[in-house]
Amino acid sequence: MKRGPLGWLVLALAVLALAFLVLAPMWLVGTSSFKLPREIINRVPTWFPRSFTLQHYQKLLQTSAFPTYFLNSVLVAASSAFVTVVLALMAGYAFFRLEFRGRDLLYRLIMVAYAFPSIVILIPIYLMFAKVGLIDTDLALVLVNVTFALPFSIWMMRTFFASLPRELEEAAAIDGAGRWKTVVHVLIPLLRPGIAAIAIFAFVASWTEYLFASVLIISDAKRTLPVGLSGIIGQYQIDWGLLLAGASLSVLPVVVFFAFVGRWFVAGLTEGAVK
Amino acid sequence: MASKPISSGRGGDGRIAFLLLVVPLGLLAATLIVPMVSAITISLRDIRVIGSDGPFAGLDNYARVLGDGTFWHALGISVVWVVGNAVVQTILALTAALVLNEKFPGVRVARVWIILTWIIPTVVVVIIWRWLLSPSGGMVNPLLIQLGIIDRPMGFFASGPAAMTSLILINSWRWFPFVAIMLLAGLQRIPNDIYEAAAVDGAGAIARFRAITWPLLQPTLLVLTVMGTLLSFNVFDIIWLLTAGGPAGGTETLPVLIYETAFKAYRMGDAAAMSVVASVLMIGLALVLLDRLAPKETAR
Repeated sequence: MKRGPLGWLVLALAVLALAFLVLAPMWLVGTSSFKLPREIINRVPTWFPRSFTLQHYQKLLQTSAFPTYFLNSVLVAASSAFVTVVLALMAGYAFFRLEFRGRDLLYRLIMVAYAFPSIVILIPIYLMFAKVGLIDTDLALVLVNVTFALPFSIWMMRTFFASLPRELEEAAAIDGAGRWKTVVHVLIPLLRPGIAAIAIFAFVASWTEYLFASVLIISDAKRTLPVGLSGIIGQYQIDWGLLLAGASLSVLPVVVFFAFVGRWFVAGLTEGAVK
Repeated sequence: MASKPISSGRGGDGRIAFLLLVVPLGLLAATLIVPMVSAITISLRDIRVIGSDGPFAGLDNYARVLGDGTFWHALGISVVWVVGNAVVQTILALTAALVLNEKFPGVRVARVWIILTWIIPTVVVVIIWRWLLSPSGGMVNPLLIQLGIIDRPMGFFASGPAAMTSLILINSWRWFPFVAIMLLAGLQRIPNDIYEAAAVDGAGAIARFRAITWPLLQPTLLVLTVMGTLLSFNVFDIIWLLTAGGPAGGTETLPVLIYETAFKAYRMGDAAAMSVVASVLMIGLALVLLDRLAPKETAR
Protein backbone atom coordinates (compact mmCIF):
# COMPACT_ATOMS: atom_id res chain seq x y z
CA MET A 1 0.00 0.00 0.00
CA LYS A 2 1.16 3.53 -0.77
CA ARG A 3 2.40 5.57 2.16
CA GLY A 4 2.42 9.35 2.13
CA PRO A 5 5.04 11.58 3.80
CA LEU A 6 2.90 11.78 6.96
CA GLY A 7 2.65 8.00 7.02
CA TRP A 8 6.43 7.67 6.76
CA LEU A 9 6.92 10.20 9.56
CA VAL A 10 4.55 8.40 11.93
CA LEU A 11 6.15 5.06 11.08
CA ALA A 12 9.68 6.38 11.55
CA LEU A 13 8.80 7.87 14.94
CA ALA A 14 7.14 4.64 16.04
CA VAL A 15 10.12 2.54 14.94
CA LEU A 16 12.52 4.86 16.76
CA ALA A 17 10.40 4.80 19.93
CA LEU A 18 10.29 1.02 19.83
CA ALA A 19 14.02 0.72 19.23
CA PHE A 20 14.66 3.17 22.08
CA LEU A 21 12.41 1.23 24.46
CA VAL A 22 14.14 -2.08 23.76
CA LEU A 23 17.73 -0.96 23.18
CA ALA A 24 18.31 2.09 25.40
CA PRO A 25 18.31 0.11 28.67
CA MET A 26 20.70 -2.44 27.14
CA TRP A 27 22.97 0.29 25.84
CA LEU A 28 23.08 2.03 29.22
CA VAL A 29 23.87 -1.18 31.10
CA GLY A 30 26.43 -2.41 28.58
CA THR A 31 28.34 0.87 28.33
CA SER A 32 28.09 1.67 32.02
CA SER A 33 29.75 -1.60 32.96
CA PHE A 34 32.95 0.00 31.63
CA LYS A 35 32.52 3.27 33.54
CA LEU A 36 34.36 4.21 36.71
CA PRO A 37 32.25 3.72 39.86
CA ARG A 38 31.74 7.42 40.45
CA GLU A 39 30.42 7.92 36.94
CA ILE A 40 28.01 5.00 37.37
CA ILE A 41 26.35 6.49 40.45
CA ASN A 42 26.64 10.12 39.32
CA ARG A 43 23.55 12.25 40.00
CA VAL A 44 23.68 13.34 36.37
CA PRO A 45 23.90 10.08 34.42
CA THR A 46 25.71 9.99 31.08
CA TRP A 47 24.42 8.42 27.86
CA PHE A 48 27.95 8.03 26.55
CA PRO A 49 30.78 6.91 28.85
CA ARG A 50 33.37 9.50 29.86
CA SER A 51 35.64 7.06 31.64
CA PHE A 52 36.87 3.58 30.85
CA THR A 53 37.84 0.77 33.16
CA LEU A 54 37.87 -3.01 33.22
CA GLN A 55 37.92 -3.11 37.01
CA HIS A 56 34.34 -4.40 37.35
CA TYR A 57 35.01 -7.31 35.00
CA GLN A 58 38.28 -8.03 36.76
CA LYS A 59 36.58 -8.11 40.13
CA LEU A 60 33.72 -10.21 38.78
CA LEU A 61 35.94 -12.82 37.20
CA GLN A 62 38.68 -12.93 39.84
CA THR A 63 37.12 -12.38 43.23
CA SER A 64 33.46 -13.32 42.90
CA ALA A 65 31.87 -16.74 42.34
CA PHE A 66 30.46 -15.50 39.03
CA PRO A 67 32.60 -17.81 36.83
CA THR A 68 31.32 -20.83 38.78
CA TYR A 69 27.69 -19.73 38.37
CA PHE A 70 28.31 -19.06 34.70
CA LEU A 71 29.78 -22.51 34.03
CA ASN A 72 27.00 -24.22 36.00
CA SER A 73 24.43 -22.35 33.94
CA VAL A 74 26.12 -23.26 30.66
CA LEU A 75 26.21 -26.92 31.70
CA VAL A 76 22.57 -27.01 32.87
CA ALA A 77 21.23 -24.98 29.94
CA ALA A 78 23.16 -26.93 27.30
CA SER A 79 22.11 -30.28 28.78
CA SER A 80 18.50 -29.14 29.06
CA ALA A 81 18.53 -27.92 25.45
CA PHE A 82 20.05 -31.18 24.22
CA VAL A 83 17.61 -33.41 26.08
CA THR A 84 14.66 -31.24 25.05
CA VAL A 85 15.65 -31.44 21.38
CA VAL A 86 16.01 -35.23 21.47
CA LEU A 87 12.71 -35.76 23.29
CA ALA A 88 10.85 -33.21 21.15
CA LEU A 89 12.12 -34.91 17.98
CA MET A 90 10.96 -38.30 19.23
CA ALA A 91 7.56 -36.98 20.28
CA GLY A 92 7.29 -34.83 17.15
CA TYR A 93 7.91 -37.80 14.88
CA ALA A 94 5.30 -39.84 16.72
CA PHE A 95 2.70 -37.07 16.73
CA PHE A 96 3.21 -35.64 13.27
CA ARG A 97 4.36 -38.64 11.24
CA LEU A 98 2.74 -41.71 12.74
CA GLU A 99 -0.82 -42.86 13.11
CA PHE A 100 -1.89 -44.52 16.30
CA ARG A 101 -4.90 -44.64 18.55
CA GLY A 102 -5.25 -41.83 21.08
CA ARG A 103 -2.78 -39.57 19.27
CA ASP A 104 -4.90 -36.42 19.25
CA LEU A 105 -6.02 -36.93 22.83
CA LEU A 106 -2.43 -37.33 24.05
CA TYR A 107 -1.31 -34.29 22.10
CA ARG A 108 -4.06 -32.16 23.61
CA LEU A 109 -3.32 -33.45 27.08
CA ILE A 110 0.30 -32.29 26.77
CA MET A 111 -0.80 -28.81 25.76
CA VAL A 112 -3.25 -28.58 28.68
CA ALA A 113 -0.57 -29.65 31.14
CA TYR A 114 1.32 -26.51 30.20
CA ALA A 115 -1.45 -24.28 31.49
CA PHE A 116 -1.07 -25.27 35.14
CA PRO A 117 0.65 -22.76 37.45
CA SER A 118 4.27 -23.81 37.99
CA ILE A 119 4.04 -22.78 41.62
CA VAL A 120 1.64 -25.72 42.17
CA ILE A 121 4.23 -28.31 41.30
CA LEU A 122 7.09 -26.54 43.11
CA ILE A 123 6.25 -27.96 46.53
CA PRO A 124 5.51 -31.55 45.40
CA ILE A 125 8.65 -31.58 43.22
CA TYR A 126 10.74 -30.34 46.11
CA LEU A 127 9.38 -33.01 48.47
CA MET A 128 9.65 -35.70 45.78
CA PHE A 129 13.24 -34.79 44.87
CA ALA A 130 14.15 -34.64 48.57
CA LYS A 131 12.94 -38.24 48.96
CA VAL A 132 14.97 -39.60 46.04
CA GLY A 133 18.09 -37.55 46.78
CA LEU A 134 17.95 -35.24 43.79
CA ILE A 135 18.15 -32.03 45.81
CA ASP A 136 21.33 -30.06 45.09
CA THR A 137 22.08 -31.85 41.81
CA ASP A 138 22.33 -30.50 38.27
CA LEU A 139 20.13 -33.38 37.15
CA ALA A 140 17.23 -31.97 39.18
CA LEU A 141 17.43 -28.68 37.29
CA VAL A 142 17.76 -30.39 33.92
CA LEU A 143 14.68 -32.53 34.63
CA VAL A 144 12.63 -29.51 35.62
CA ASN A 145 13.83 -27.36 32.72
CA VAL A 146 13.11 -30.08 30.17
CA THR A 147 9.66 -30.58 31.64
CA PHE A 148 8.83 -26.91 31.21
CA ALA A 149 10.34 -26.58 27.74
CA LEU A 150 9.04 -29.82 26.25
CA PRO A 151 5.31 -29.12 25.66
CA PHE A 152 6.00 -25.80 23.94
CA SER A 153 8.83 -27.40 21.93
CA ILE A 154 6.56 -30.18 20.69
CA TRP A 155 4.05 -27.50 19.70
CA MET A 156 6.77 -25.62 17.77
CA MET A 157 7.91 -28.86 16.06
CA ARG A 158 4.49 -29.10 14.44
CA THR A 159 5.28 -26.18 12.10
CA PHE A 160 8.59 -27.63 11.01
CA PHE A 161 7.25 -31.12 10.40
CA ALA A 162 4.34 -29.63 8.46
CA SER A 163 6.75 -27.70 6.23
CA LEU A 164 8.37 -30.93 5.02
CA PRO A 165 6.43 -32.86 2.36
CA ARG A 166 5.94 -36.52 3.29
CA GLU A 167 6.83 -37.39 -0.30
CA LEU A 168 10.50 -36.82 0.54
CA GLU A 169 10.48 -39.57 3.11
CA GLU A 170 8.35 -41.78 0.91
CA ALA A 171 10.80 -41.36 -1.95
CA ALA A 172 13.65 -42.37 0.34
CA ALA A 173 11.65 -45.40 1.44
CA ILE A 174 11.06 -46.42 -2.17
CA ASP A 175 14.79 -46.12 -2.78
CA GLY A 176 15.17 -48.81 -0.18
CA ALA A 177 16.16 -46.72 2.82
CA GLY A 178 14.69 -48.05 6.04
CA ARG A 179 12.77 -45.90 8.49
CA TRP A 180 15.79 -45.28 10.67
CA LYS A 181 18.00 -44.33 7.72
CA THR A 182 15.29 -42.04 6.34
CA VAL A 183 14.99 -40.24 9.67
CA VAL A 184 18.73 -39.79 10.14
CA HIS A 185 19.69 -38.89 6.55
CA VAL A 186 16.58 -37.14 5.25
CA LEU A 187 14.35 -35.91 8.05
CA ILE A 188 16.79 -34.66 10.68
CA PRO A 189 18.92 -32.60 8.27
CA LEU A 190 15.77 -30.96 6.91
CA LEU A 191 14.48 -30.31 10.41
CA ARG A 192 17.56 -28.29 11.39
CA PRO A 193 15.67 -24.99 11.61
CA GLY A 194 13.17 -26.58 13.98
CA ILE A 195 15.95 -28.12 16.02
CA ALA A 196 17.62 -24.71 16.26
CA ALA A 197 14.35 -23.07 17.35
CA ILE A 198 13.78 -25.63 20.10
CA ALA A 199 17.40 -25.55 21.22
CA ILE A 200 17.38 -21.77 21.69
CA PHE A 201 14.00 -21.87 23.42
CA ALA A 202 15.06 -24.56 25.89
CA PHE A 203 18.45 -22.91 26.41
CA VAL A 204 16.94 -19.50 27.13
CA ALA A 205 14.24 -20.95 29.39
CA SER A 206 16.76 -22.73 31.53
CA TRP A 207 19.28 -19.86 31.41
CA THR A 208 16.56 -17.67 32.96
CA GLU A 209 14.98 -20.13 35.39
CA TYR A 210 15.06 -18.82 38.94
CA LEU A 211 12.23 -20.28 41.02
CA PHE A 212 13.15 -23.97 40.94
CA ALA A 213 16.89 -23.28 40.94
CA SER A 214 16.49 -21.24 44.12
CA VAL A 215 14.77 -24.11 45.90
CA LEU A 216 16.40 -27.24 44.45
CA ILE A 217 20.02 -26.08 44.71
CA ILE A 218 21.49 -25.54 48.14
CA SER A 219 25.28 -25.32 47.90
CA ASP A 220 26.85 -22.17 46.51
CA ALA A 221 29.22 -24.13 44.25
CA LYS A 222 26.25 -25.54 42.31
CA ARG A 223 24.28 -22.32 41.90
CA THR A 224 23.23 -21.21 38.44
CA LEU A 225 23.53 -17.61 37.23
CA PRO A 226 20.05 -16.25 38.12
CA VAL A 227 20.25 -17.37 41.74
CA GLY A 228 23.96 -16.63 42.08
CA LEU A 229 23.65 -13.17 40.60
CA SER A 230 20.65 -12.36 42.77
CA GLY A 231 22.80 -13.32 45.76
CA ILE A 232 25.37 -10.75 44.65
CA ILE A 233 22.61 -8.08 44.47
CA GLY A 234 21.67 -8.79 48.06
CA GLN A 235 25.21 -8.56 49.41
CA TYR A 236 26.04 -5.64 51.76
CA GLN A 237 26.18 -2.39 49.82
CA ILE A 238 25.13 -2.60 46.19
CA ASP A 239 28.18 -2.59 43.92
CA TRP A 240 26.52 -1.39 40.72
CA GLY A 241 29.65 -1.69 38.59
CA LEU A 242 29.99 -5.33 39.53
CA LEU A 243 26.30 -6.02 38.89
CA LEU A 244 26.26 -4.24 35.54
CA ALA A 245 29.29 -6.24 34.43
CA GLY A 246 27.61 -9.43 35.64
CA ALA A 247 24.39 -8.50 33.85
CA SER A 248 26.25 -7.80 30.59
CA LEU A 249 28.14 -11.08 30.70
CA SER A 250 24.95 -13.01 31.51
CA VAL A 251 23.23 -11.64 28.44
CA LEU A 252 26.13 -12.39 26.11
CA PRO A 253 25.69 -16.17 25.52
CA VAL A 254 21.98 -15.97 24.73
CA VAL A 255 22.52 -13.00 22.42
CA VAL A 256 25.30 -14.80 20.52
CA PHE A 257 23.20 -17.97 20.30
CA PHE A 258 20.20 -15.93 19.20
CA ALA A 259 22.20 -14.13 16.51
CA PHE A 260 22.67 -17.45 14.73
CA VAL A 261 19.28 -19.07 15.14
CA GLY A 262 16.96 -16.24 16.21
CA ARG A 263 15.02 -16.13 12.95
CA TRP A 264 14.17 -19.83 13.20
CA PHE A 265 12.95 -19.28 16.71
CA VAL A 266 10.63 -16.48 15.58
CA ALA A 267 9.42 -18.70 12.72
CA GLY A 268 8.67 -21.50 15.17
CA LEU A 269 6.94 -19.11 17.55
CA THR A 270 4.63 -17.85 14.84
CA GLU A 271 4.02 -21.13 13.02
CA GLY A 272 6.01 -19.71 10.13
CA ALA A 273 3.59 -16.85 9.52
CA VAL A 274 6.22 -14.11 9.92
CA LYS A 275 8.57 -13.76 6.99
CA MET B 1 11.62 -52.48 11.84
CA ALA B 2 14.60 -51.65 9.66
CA SER B 3 13.06 -52.03 6.23
CA LYS B 4 9.42 -51.22 6.86
CA PRO B 5 7.69 -48.65 4.65
CA ILE B 6 6.96 -45.20 6.13
CA SER B 7 3.26 -45.68 6.64
CA SER B 8 1.99 -49.13 7.35
CA GLY B 9 -1.69 -48.29 7.38
CA ARG B 10 -4.07 -47.00 10.02
CA GLY B 11 -3.12 -47.83 13.57
CA GLY B 12 -0.12 -49.80 12.36
CA ASP B 13 2.43 -47.45 13.93
CA GLY B 14 1.36 -48.13 17.49
CA ARG B 15 4.48 -50.00 18.55
CA ILE B 16 6.94 -47.42 17.20
CA ALA B 17 4.83 -44.58 18.56
CA PHE B 18 4.90 -46.20 21.97
CA LEU B 19 8.69 -46.60 21.86
CA LEU B 20 9.13 -42.97 20.82
CA LEU B 21 6.67 -41.53 23.31
CA VAL B 22 7.43 -43.55 26.40
CA VAL B 23 10.36 -41.39 27.52
CA PRO B 24 8.99 -37.89 26.75
CA LEU B 25 5.54 -38.68 28.10
CA GLY B 26 6.95 -40.62 31.04
CA LEU B 27 9.01 -37.60 32.03
CA LEU B 28 6.03 -35.25 31.73
CA ALA B 29 3.90 -37.63 33.76
CA ALA B 30 6.53 -37.91 36.49
CA THR B 31 7.31 -34.20 36.74
CA LEU B 32 3.97 -32.58 35.91
CA ILE B 33 1.05 -34.92 36.48
CA VAL B 34 2.29 -36.79 39.55
CA PRO B 35 3.24 -33.52 41.32
CA MET B 36 -0.12 -31.98 40.46
CA VAL B 37 -1.93 -34.90 42.04
CA SER B 38 0.39 -34.98 45.02
CA ALA B 39 -0.14 -31.24 45.55
CA ILE B 40 -3.65 -32.26 46.54
CA THR B 41 -2.52 -34.98 48.95
CA ILE B 42 0.09 -32.66 50.48
CA SER B 43 -2.59 -30.03 51.00
CA LEU B 44 -4.53 -32.54 53.12
CA ARG B 45 -1.59 -33.22 55.42
CA ASP B 46 0.13 -31.35 58.19
CA ILE B 47 3.76 -31.50 57.06
CA ARG B 48 6.27 -29.98 59.45
CA VAL B 49 9.45 -31.93 58.73
CA ILE B 50 10.75 -32.24 55.16
CA GLY B 51 10.85 -35.89 54.15
CA SER B 52 8.07 -37.00 56.49
CA ASP B 53 4.50 -37.29 55.30
CA GLY B 54 2.94 -35.73 58.37
CA PRO B 55 -0.44 -36.63 59.87
CA PHE B 56 -3.62 -36.46 57.81
CA ALA B 57 -5.29 -33.14 58.48
CA GLY B 58 -8.38 -33.29 56.28
CA LEU B 59 -9.47 -29.86 55.17
CA ASP B 60 -7.82 -28.08 58.11
CA ASN B 61 -5.20 -26.43 55.87
CA TYR B 62 -7.91 -25.15 53.55
CA ALA B 63 -9.98 -23.84 56.45
CA ARG B 64 -6.99 -22.03 57.95
CA VAL B 65 -5.79 -20.59 54.66
CA LEU B 66 -9.19 -19.44 53.44
CA GLY B 67 -10.11 -18.06 56.86
CA ASP B 68 -6.99 -15.90 56.89
CA GLY B 69 -7.01 -12.44 55.35
CA THR B 70 -3.53 -12.74 53.81
CA PHE B 71 -4.73 -15.24 51.19
CA TRP B 72 -7.53 -12.95 50.02
CA HIS B 73 -5.26 -9.94 50.11
CA ALA B 74 -2.71 -11.74 47.91
CA LEU B 75 -5.49 -12.86 45.57
CA GLY B 76 -6.57 -9.22 45.20
CA ILE B 77 -2.98 -8.16 44.48
CA SER B 78 -2.72 -10.95 41.91
CA VAL B 79 -5.87 -9.71 40.16
CA VAL B 80 -4.41 -6.18 39.93
CA TRP B 81 -1.14 -7.66 38.66
CA VAL B 82 -2.78 -9.84 35.99
CA VAL B 83 -5.17 -7.13 34.76
CA GLY B 84 -2.46 -4.45 34.78
CA ASN B 85 -0.11 -6.64 32.77
CA ALA B 86 -2.84 -7.61 30.31
CA VAL B 87 -3.73 -3.97 29.63
CA VAL B 88 -0.20 -2.58 29.36
CA GLN B 89 1.15 -5.51 27.36
CA THR B 90 -1.75 -5.56 24.92
CA ILE B 91 -1.39 -1.85 24.17
CA LEU B 92 2.40 -2.02 23.77
CA ALA B 93 2.35 -5.29 21.83
CA LEU B 94 -0.41 -4.24 19.46
CA THR B 95 1.43 -1.02 18.66
CA ALA B 96 4.66 -2.89 18.10
CA ALA B 97 2.96 -5.55 15.97
CA LEU B 98 1.29 -2.92 13.77
CA VAL B 99 4.65 -1.21 13.28
CA LEU B 100 6.44 -4.48 12.48
CA ASN B 101 3.70 -5.44 10.02
CA GLU B 102 4.67 -2.48 7.84
CA LYS B 103 7.45 -2.62 5.27
CA PHE B 104 10.48 -0.48 6.03
CA PRO B 105 14.25 -0.90 5.73
CA GLY B 106 15.47 -3.24 8.46
CA VAL B 107 12.07 -4.68 9.31
CA ARG B 108 13.28 -8.28 9.03
CA VAL B 109 16.02 -7.65 11.56
CA ALA B 110 13.58 -5.81 13.82
CA ARG B 111 11.12 -8.71 13.75
CA VAL B 112 13.77 -11.01 15.18
CA TRP B 113 15.58 -8.71 17.58
CA ILE B 114 12.55 -7.11 19.18
CA ILE B 115 12.38 -10.24 21.31
CA LEU B 116 15.70 -9.30 22.93
CA THR B 117 14.06 -8.25 26.21
CA TRP B 118 12.47 -11.68 26.47
CA ILE B 119 15.62 -13.76 26.03
CA ILE B 120 17.64 -12.05 28.74
CA PRO B 121 17.46 -13.61 32.22
CA THR B 122 14.92 -12.16 34.63
CA VAL B 123 17.66 -11.45 37.14
CA VAL B 124 19.29 -9.22 34.52
CA VAL B 125 15.97 -7.45 33.91
CA VAL B 126 15.88 -6.87 37.66
CA ILE B 127 19.42 -5.46 37.76
CA ILE B 128 18.77 -3.23 34.73
CA TRP B 129 15.64 -1.64 36.15
CA ARG B 130 16.74 -1.42 39.76
CA TRP B 131 19.68 0.59 38.53
CA LEU B 132 17.79 2.69 35.96
CA LEU B 133 15.13 3.54 38.58
CA SER B 134 17.54 4.09 41.45
CA PRO B 135 18.22 7.57 42.78
CA SER B 136 21.98 6.99 42.42
CA GLY B 137 22.94 7.03 38.77
CA GLY B 138 19.57 5.88 37.43
CA MET B 139 18.58 7.40 34.09
CA VAL B 140 14.80 7.35 34.44
CA ASN B 141 14.36 10.11 37.04
CA PRO B 142 16.56 12.66 35.22
CA LEU B 143 14.87 11.75 31.92
CA LEU B 144 11.36 12.25 33.32
CA ILE B 145 12.42 15.57 34.86
CA GLN B 146 13.94 16.69 31.56
CA LEU B 147 10.72 15.80 29.75
CA GLY B 148 8.77 17.79 32.36
CA ILE B 149 6.71 14.80 33.49
CA ILE B 150 7.81 15.07 37.12
CA ASP B 151 9.55 17.95 38.89
CA ARG B 152 11.56 16.06 41.49
CA PRO B 153 12.96 12.53 41.69
CA MET B 154 10.35 9.98 42.65
CA GLY B 155 10.66 6.71 44.58
CA PHE B 156 9.49 4.03 42.20
CA PHE B 157 9.15 1.42 44.93
CA ALA B 158 8.30 3.74 47.84
CA SER B 159 4.61 2.80 48.24
CA GLY B 160 2.52 -0.24 47.39
CA PRO B 161 0.76 1.30 44.37
CA ALA B 162 4.01 2.87 43.08
CA ALA B 163 5.87 -0.43 43.41
CA MET B 164 3.00 -2.29 41.73
CA THR B 165 2.96 0.16 38.82
CA SER B 166 6.74 -0.09 38.40
CA LEU B 167 6.60 -3.89 38.50
CA ILE B 168 3.81 -4.06 35.92
CA LEU B 169 5.72 -1.75 33.58
CA ILE B 170 8.97 -3.68 34.01
CA ASN B 171 7.31 -7.06 33.47
CA SER B 172 5.49 -5.67 30.44
CA TRP B 173 8.78 -4.40 29.06
CA ARG B 174 10.05 -7.96 29.27
CA TRP B 175 6.98 -9.64 27.78
CA PHE B 176 5.44 -7.25 25.25
CA PRO B 177 7.82 -8.22 22.37
CA PHE B 178 6.85 -11.89 22.77
CA VAL B 179 3.15 -10.97 22.58
CA ALA B 180 3.90 -8.60 19.68
CA ILE B 181 5.47 -11.41 17.64
CA MET B 182 2.43 -13.62 18.25
CA LEU B 183 0.11 -10.75 17.24
CA LEU B 184 2.26 -10.10 14.18
CA ALA B 185 1.67 -13.70 13.12
CA GLY B 186 -2.06 -13.04 13.46
CA LEU B 187 -1.76 -9.83 11.43
CA GLN B 188 0.09 -11.58 8.64
CA ARG B 189 -2.67 -14.16 8.31
CA ILE B 190 -5.08 -11.36 7.30
CA PRO B 191 -5.09 -11.39 3.48
CA ASN B 192 -3.69 -8.23 1.94
CA ASP B 193 -6.48 -8.07 -0.67
CA ILE B 194 -9.00 -7.02 1.98
CA TYR B 195 -6.90 -3.95 2.84
CA GLU B 196 -6.38 -3.09 -0.79
CA ALA B 197 -10.09 -3.38 -1.55
CA ALA B 198 -10.87 -1.15 1.45
CA ALA B 199 -8.25 1.38 0.35
CA VAL B 200 -9.76 1.47 -3.14
CA ASP B 201 -13.12 2.17 -1.53
CA GLY B 202 -11.49 5.18 0.14
CA ALA B 203 -11.13 3.84 3.69
CA GLY B 204 -8.36 5.63 5.63
CA ALA B 205 -5.81 3.91 7.86
CA ILE B 206 -7.90 4.28 11.01
CA ALA B 207 -11.09 3.10 9.30
CA ARG B 208 -9.23 0.08 7.91
CA PHE B 209 -7.91 -0.78 11.37
CA ARG B 210 -11.39 -0.62 12.92
CA ALA B 211 -13.18 -2.47 10.16
CA ILE B 212 -10.62 -5.13 9.25
CA THR B 213 -7.62 -5.49 11.57
CA TRP B 214 -9.37 -5.29 14.93
CA PRO B 215 -12.17 -7.78 14.27
CA LEU B 216 -9.95 -10.24 12.39
CA LEU B 217 -7.35 -10.11 15.16
CA GLN B 218 -9.87 -11.10 17.84
CA PRO B 219 -9.16 -14.87 17.81
CA THR B 220 -5.42 -14.25 18.21
CA LEU B 221 -6.05 -11.68 20.95
CA LEU B 222 -8.32 -14.10 22.78
CA VAL B 223 -5.75 -16.89 22.82
CA LEU B 224 -3.05 -14.46 23.91
CA THR B 225 -5.25 -13.04 26.68
CA VAL B 226 -5.85 -16.48 28.12
CA MET B 227 -2.20 -17.48 27.71
CA GLY B 228 -1.01 -14.14 29.08
CA THR B 229 -3.29 -14.38 32.09
CA LEU B 230 -1.89 -17.80 33.01
CA LEU B 231 1.69 -16.72 32.33
CA SER B 232 1.58 -13.46 34.23
CA PHE B 233 -0.29 -15.00 37.15
CA ASN B 234 2.68 -17.38 37.44
CA VAL B 235 5.36 -14.71 37.40
CA PHE B 236 7.38 -14.95 40.57
CA ASP B 237 11.04 -14.12 40.13
CA ILE B 238 10.71 -10.53 38.94
CA ILE B 239 8.45 -9.61 41.88
CA TRP B 240 10.47 -11.55 44.41
CA LEU B 241 13.78 -10.03 43.33
CA LEU B 242 12.54 -6.44 43.03
CA THR B 243 10.20 -6.01 46.00
CA ALA B 244 9.90 -9.44 47.70
CA GLY B 245 6.18 -8.65 47.99
CA GLY B 246 6.69 -5.30 49.75
CA PRO B 247 6.36 -2.57 50.72
CA ALA B 248 3.90 -3.76 53.40
CA GLY B 249 2.54 -6.57 51.23
CA GLY B 250 1.64 -4.14 48.47
CA THR B 251 3.03 -6.43 45.76
CA GLU B 252 2.53 -9.77 47.47
CA THR B 253 0.87 -11.83 44.75
CA LEU B 254 -0.29 -15.41 45.38
CA PRO B 255 2.88 -17.08 44.04
CA VAL B 256 4.97 -14.87 46.35
CA LEU B 257 2.76 -15.73 49.32
CA ILE B 258 2.87 -19.46 48.47
CA TYR B 259 6.67 -19.36 48.15
CA GLU B 260 7.05 -17.57 51.48
CA THR B 261 4.65 -19.92 53.23
CA ALA B 262 6.44 -23.00 51.88
CA PHE B 263 10.09 -22.02 51.97
CA LYS B 264 10.35 -19.27 54.60
CA ALA B 265 7.72 -20.40 57.09
CA TYR B 266 8.00 -24.10 56.10
CA ARG B 267 4.23 -24.60 56.21
CA MET B 268 4.13 -26.95 53.21
CA GLY B 269 0.55 -28.11 53.79
CA ASP B 270 -0.83 -24.56 53.91
CA ALA B 271 1.19 -23.56 50.85
CA ALA B 272 -0.02 -26.60 48.91
CA ALA B 273 -3.62 -25.81 49.86
CA MET B 274 -3.19 -22.25 48.58
CA SER B 275 -1.64 -23.49 45.34
CA VAL B 276 -4.50 -25.93 44.76
CA VAL B 277 -7.08 -23.18 45.29
CA ALA B 278 -5.05 -20.93 42.98
CA SER B 279 -4.96 -23.55 40.19
CA VAL B 280 -8.68 -24.19 40.45
CA LEU B 281 -9.27 -20.44 40.15
CA MET B 282 -6.88 -20.12 37.19
CA ILE B 283 -8.33 -23.06 35.27
CA GLY B 284 -11.83 -21.78 35.98
CA LEU B 285 -10.87 -18.32 34.77
CA ALA B 286 -9.27 -19.69 31.60
CA LEU B 287 -12.39 -21.73 30.83
CA VAL B 288 -14.68 -18.75 31.49
CA LEU B 289 -12.54 -16.48 29.31
CA LEU B 290 -12.51 -18.97 26.44
CA ASP B 291 -16.21 -19.65 26.77
CA ARG B 292 -17.46 -16.10 27.31
CA LEU B 293 -15.24 -14.37 24.83
CA ALA B 294 -15.10 -16.88 22.01
CA PRO B 295 -18.71 -17.15 20.71
CA LYS B 296 -19.14 -13.37 20.61
CA GLU B 297 -16.05 -12.94 18.45
CA THR B 298 -16.98 -15.62 15.93
CA ALA B 299 -20.50 -14.26 15.62
CA ARG B 300 -19.22 -10.94 14.40
